[in-house]
Amino acid sequence: MDIFSQLKKQAEQVEVLSLQNEKTTVEYEANQLKTCTVAETKGTAVRVIRKGRLGFAASSDDTAMDKLAANALESATFGDKALFSFPDPKPAPIVRTFDKAVADLPIARLVEIGREMLDLILPVEPDARCHISLERSLVSASIRNQKGMDVSFKTSPLSLGLEIDRIEGDDMLILEDQLGTTVWEKDYLAFTRRLMDKLKKAKFITSIKPGRMPVLFAPAGILALGLPLSRGLNGKEVYKGTSPMVGKIGEKLFDEKVTIIDDGTIDGKFASASYDDEGIPRRRNMLIEKGVLKSFIYDLKTAAQSGVESTGNASRQLFSPPEPSFTNFVIQPGQTPLKDILAGIDEGILVENLLGLGQGNIISGAFSNPLALAFKIERGEIIGRVKDVSIAGNVYELLKNVAAVSQEVQWVYNTFYAPYVLLPEMNVMTKTESPSN
Amino acid sequence: MRDRIQEALKHSKADYTEIRIEEKETTRVVFRGKELEVANANIDKGGIVRCLIRDKGWGVATFNNLDDLLNKADQAYQCAQVGSVPEPIELASVEPVENITTVEMKRDFRDISLAEKKALAERYNQVLLGHSDKIIDTQAAYADSFTHLILANSEGTYIEQEKPSVVIGAFAIARDGNNVQQAHESLSSTQGFEYVLDKDELARKAAQKAVELLDAEPVKAGQYPVVVDQTLAGVFIHEAFGHLSEADFVYENPKAREMMTMGRRFGKGLLNVYDDGSIPNLRGTTLYDDEGTPARRNWLIRDGELVGRLHSRQTAAKMGEKASGNARAVNYRFAPIVRMTNTAIDNGTTSFENMVKDIELGIYACDAYGGETLLENFSFSSGYAYMIRNGKIAEMVKDVILAGNLFTTLENIDAIGNDFKWLNTGGGCGKGNQYPLPVGMGAPHIRIQNVVIGGE
Repeated sequence: MDIFSQLKKQAEQVEVLSLQNEKTTVEYEANQLKTCTVAETKGTAVRVIRKGRLGFAASSDDTAMDKLAANALESATFGDKALFSFPDPKPAPIVRTFDKAVADLPIARLVEIGREMLDLILPVEPDARCHISLERSLVSASIRNQKGMDVSFKTSPLSLGLEIDRIEGDDMLILEDQLGTTVWEKDYLAFTRRLMDKLKKAKFITSIKPGRMPVLFAPAGILALGLPLSRGLNGKEVYKGTSPMVGKIGEKLFDEKVTIIDDGTIDGKFASASYDDEGIPRRRNMLIEKGVLKSFIYDLKTAAQSGVESTGNASRQLFSPPEPSFTNFVIQPGQTPLKDILAGIDEGILVENLLGLGQGNIISGAFSNPLALAFKIERGEIIGRVKDVSIAGNVYELLKNVAAVSQEVQWVYNTFYAPYVLLPEMNVMTKTESPSN
Repeated sequence: MRDRIQEALKHSKADYTEIRIEEKETTRVVFRGKELEVANANIDKGGIVRCLIRDKGWGVATFNNLDDLLNKADQAYQCAQVGSVPEPIELASVEPVENITTVEMKRDFRDISLAEKKALAERYNQVLLGHSDKIIDTQAAYADSFTHLILANSEGTYIEQEKPSVVIGAFAIARDGNNVQQAHESLSSTQGFEYVLDKDELARKAAQKAVELLDAEPVKAGQYPVVVDQTLAGVFIHEAFGHLSEADFVYENPKAREMMTMGRRFGKGLLNVYDDGSIPNLRGTTLYDDEGTPARRNWLIRDGELVGRLHSRQTAAKMGEKASGNARAVNYRFAPIVRMTNTAIDNGTTSFENMVKDIELGIYACDAYGGETLLENFSFSSGYAYMIRNGKIAEMVKDVILAGNLFTTLENIDAIGNDFKWLNTGGGCGKGNQYPLPVGMGAPHIRIQNVVIGGE
């Protein structure tokens, strides 16, 4: 008898998740192909509700199903009082997450893509040391529960990652970028060209005086503001009372140019799927609309604790129970072309990348980060790279006043879709006293 | 299983093939504040085949399904085929071994019910919560794991080892107005359930320290003689020095290679440092590493001079040295890399009283609370500290951060205590994506002159 039928006799409610993952990784280190790995993972995670209490157990050993069942039941002896039921099956949107062209990519092709990247970079940047990781996976998962849910899904994630370090005299620059997709991307080298462009622009170094000035965040830089918000919008933080946005649904918290959406239904993206990891249909959740707080994200447990419905945001690894988590974090683009935004800046900085993202007490909205890559803008022009610069502030204050949001928008870090955002004034610090000129 | 492993090894066409099969059962109970947050058990079983084709590179296959090892060996071989190293990879020679060991625990935690483990964590949580009404948040955790590990390679090595681990942790946050302080204590053992029983004192200590820190003043910045307790000294030698001794860091980095030249002075003649995975029952003990090299004592600093480093078979061959037993993997999903086992500053001769008695104004820094190292520069926070005034331990101070250059700091160690102690804390070490690897650390008290302490 399989574990599902067995547990149905011993518990009021049962959920069985089966996971299978097959991953091929090719790694270049310092321009050399170093290791190639094939990893196959398989496992089963079980949740039961017995006598009203929730239990969890997981195993990667498919010959130990009896023990897995016993572990889940024992865990339920002490578990939380379950406030929710495993859900009824519901129709879900069709979301494209699988592409045979990706699934069938042979190792040799991954090796070749790595070489194509090196061929693009090294002739122009002979001193660059490139670390490349090319990874293709094939993931299948299925969720069954006692209500008759039986969904399964297949995804084919492809991720190409590139880190370049370049040392020129005393100057050491480390930059990274990546492409993450589940459907074949024709222009798969676009992100490499984007990084090359930054390397080129970074050659000329200039200085800047510390002080208050306009700060333009590039799509990857805007994460400094996005990460604290993603924590604050998470239903778990809201239930624990630690989110600064608790109890503020319907209030205008930010500038009306700020619109933020969690969208798990975008074709081909890493965080997209028809169902979440509890079998709830993924959807598009409007969270902040023109500055007004509309909703938070929830899984079944946090939704029940908060007296609302799950928003389809359950996410889990094999060995731990589900937690609410963002799918694709979308900051809505605005009306202004980037060149017009730049033209309006007399003196300020462009923040491309930050160090130490997500560290510190970010739930409060506070952030303080050194800038990994930033440029000085003078009279509407990007005039050179600035070093040893850091910025600090609080998202909940800063986003009350946004000067402009660009039309241009980009996918960064695989699951963030963001435009350029101009803040009219914030504090910019430099490590050393800048030379007076 | 052994037959199937040997069949797959024989089948492999690679120059060198190695198979590791791991079976691990874990239990975890966590109380947070007044609530039980986790109480469950997981089973993780899987394997890895690693192949080397000398003039191409490494190929790796990891898996959960152990039914078809031949196929996995083929996969790893195909992976190795795509590599293209600039010069052939050699492995330092190691005598093949056949060894099957089992461990006996006095009270085997696998026979203890989840109910009893939960009751234990709950009791320590009650001690934390009940200590003072200033304690506003707690975490009391119990975790055990039992690992059965098989390692075999194409040179004839076949090793079976068992690795039990049981850990308790107590974490307390105390608050007075806007002043929030925290403290942590943990204890680990490889010998059985009874070693984590009756540890109310440990939980009480965490709670007490968090509350005491509420009244501590921040330390005044300056240069002080600092007496460092065994915990902080152990963490210091692991983080600031030990990682530089890992040969994979040295052999690909010309700057690091220059820094770690054998014979270079690393402190005064009284300083001796070693790494040793062969000492029974310590957290980093591993009789054979994950390439089958037997553990041994590797002296790293002798009489203040650099005399050794830690190796995998590949780094040892590349640098013309001997494999040291330090190729370790956190689990079957990873190939082994160079790691420490149990790292220690050897015992000295000075008593704690004599170390403190001549200090007019100094600091006694205890316990480690995170740190960062970048080449020879390091920065560490101590968990708590006391001023030393006129040769006596005086009031508690907080926010003591030791920062400096490794070489200057080692040179400034002018006394080494006679009170050596292995730390039996839980947790582990991270490197690359591999975390947490159990490691041991040990040291006596040490005294360092002219330490720069940051602060107001």
